[in-house]
Amino acid sequence: MDNLEYLFAANIFVWGGIFYYLFRIKRYQQSLQNDLDLIKEAVKKGSQDE
Amino acid sequence: MSDEKQENSSILTWLTVIAFLLAMVAIFVYVPTEQTEGAVQRIMYFHIPAAWLAFFAFFVVFLCSILFLWKKEREWDIYALASAEIGVIFCSLVLITGPIWARPIWGAWWVWDARLTSTLILWLIYVSYLMLRYQTDMGSMRARFAAVLGIVGFLDIPFIHFSVLWWRTFHPPPKMISSEGLGAGMDPSMVSTLLLSLGAFTLLYFVLMGQRIKVEMMRDEVERLKKDHLYSN
Repeated sequence: MDNLEYLFAANIFVWGGIFYYLFRIKRYQQSLQNDLDLIKEAVKKGSQDE
Repeated sequence: MSDEKQENSSILTWLTVIAFLLAMVAIFVYVPTEQTEGAVQRIMYFHIPAAWLAFFAFFVVFLCSILFLWKKEREWDIYALASAEIGVIFCSLVLITGPIWARPIWGAWWVWDARLTSTLILWLIYVSYLMLRYQTDMGSMRARFAAVLGIVGFLDIPFIHFSVLWWRTFHPPPKMISSEGLGAGMDPSMVSTLLLSLGAFTLLYFVLMGQRIKVEMMRDEVERLKKDHLYSN
């Protein structure tokens, strides 16, 4: 009575869930960093034009 | 982020990785197979730490929500939001790994007993909390409403803990913390493996919190810059 497939499935969900969440946070961080860089560049350009 | 903070975050990440590697060796190599349930019982070393992490995360939401309502400082709101998101992720893992473990042991994926139902209610409360955060506009009463929900939601946790003692349930009573003592009736190798896994999951909570708080602070910075420089022209 080992039911290894259930143990395997539980592991897939736990690790899949943790890595998916980490990946989503990192992707969001990257997108915000791009936004920050763009805004800072626009602000810099704006102040140079003035 | 300052260099010192970056270094601390890196040390914490590596400690978490090492703790998980040790926990995996303990779970799959060191700890003996349980006699009646077989290998599937090893799900316990993920299921209980995920539940502990979810409860701990919701406790942090509870504390930070009280502090936010009291001090009205945005940082407490950020901590509460970050912790609620992590809590929901791990509460989801509890609700997934539980039925996977239950199916071969109880012969059913799900039963509507007090422990399982109250855990599902907890998950629904904090999913509502996140929906309230994501679906309403910035600058509204959102943070205050969410804080109240974060506090009220936590009241379900003592109910979940005592449900297996107050009612006859399919879900077994706590083995790790019982009136007979810490880990009484469990093999010492099982207790040490469970404690190792609990430690690894707790470290993971702090790694995820650090990353999630960073994201929220960056979002605030983007909003502030847009408001000050782009929308004002």
